[in-house]
Amino acid sequence: MVCVNSTDKIQPTNSLLLKIYITFFKLGSISFGGGYAMIPLIEHEVVVQNHWVKREEIIDILAVAGSLPGAIGLNASALVGYKIAGIRGALASIIGSLCPPVMIVLALSVLFEKFSSYKAVQDAFYGIRPAVLSLIVFAAYKMGSTSIKDGISLIIAIMAFGSMVIFDMHPILIIIVGAFAGLGLMPVKSAGSRKDGV
Amino acid sequence: MTILLGLFFIFAKLSLFSFGGGYVMVPIAMGELEANHWATAAGLTDTVAIATMSPGPVGVNLAIGLGFKVAGIAGAVAAFLGMILPTTAVLILVAVCFFKVYQNPVVAAMFYGIRPVVTGIILYAAFSLAVKNGVILAEPNTMIHAGYNLSFNTFHLIEFKSVLIATAVFMLLAKTKVVPAAIIAACGVIGIIMF
Repeated sequence: MVCVNSTDKIQPTNSLLLKIYITFFKLGSISFGGGYAMIPLIEHEVVVQNHWVKREEIIDILAVAGSLPGAIGLNASALVGYKIAGIRGALASIIGSLCPPVMIVLALSVLFEKFSSYKAVQDAFYGIRPAVLSLIVFAAYKMGSTSIKDGISLIIAIMAFGSMVIFDMHPILIIIVGAFAGLGLMPVKSAGSRKDGV
Repeated sequence: MTILLGLFFIFAKLSLFSFGGGYVMVPIAMGELEANHWATAAGLTDTVAIATMSPGPVGVNLAIGLGFKVAGIAGAVAAFLGMILPTTAVLILVAVCFFKVYQNPVVAAMFYGIRPVVTGIILYAAFSLAVKNGVILAEPNTMIHAGYNLSFNTFHLIEFKSVLIATAVFMLLAKTKVVPAAIIAACGVIGIIMF
């Protein structure tokens, strides 16, 4: 088990913080496709290139990043930054990885607003919307392939979907119910099959 | 000012419950923004497209894009701060000794329940966007008139051009390593040709 308390005492040099910022600025510029797509890139930069974090540590960091609320890629960046240089390292990596997307999203939004009345732009979005649907379905598919491993989790997933379609239940409420369901059902499941993948 | 505070708090709330990536935010954001008459489903889908085309976390991009749509640059800043401040605070708390929390059996049990729920919510996001964008079960005002629509009497079932694109995109995502940004750009061109 790795604990990162020791990093609190490290006084990071400004050049290290700058290096963290630049590394994550680079990662932020190329991380298309959401957090999961960013993970191998983060791994390459911080494990292979810079030797900031060991390979087995990065696996734990990524698992924690996926368990916390918020964007996975951003969580992972912050935890890696923290591991390298404490709180200031976390801030350097967060700011670095957010600068490029902020600028690009704003630029695209401004452009879209300017040109959205053009027929060609509207037609383009008729093509883009079904693509977005598939991106979302694919995200669910990937999430499902790691989270649905037995009958209980399959039933939970179907009930979550059904309670939104039929009863229009609020997603946040369903997440909270899901957490309690997990608390109630986990002992049952562990007794049945010992392996409990987290 | 009320709009900016509203955006900040909506995205602060969203961020704290967005387990499992940005797409789980879509149905929650849609409910909140439509309740305030700040955005339509079509507008939301287009912003999801912009968020996906841009590098960076989809959730953060979505916050910036929707914030901008509702209240310009100031809205984007408010939504962005709402999106990152609470989760950063949680992160720093957790980072202080994070592996203990992660390996705690109670936390593990909670996530055993949360993960399949998130899967269901993300699927619902796709389903409800499909309805609201006129791909399935379209209302008269969401009907894609340039599409091939199949209706049963006056009850709309499905629009085939969109389904064709969606199916092709899913196959590409599942079978190849083409990046989503490239797929979206290509589908923009296909849309101009097909519609």
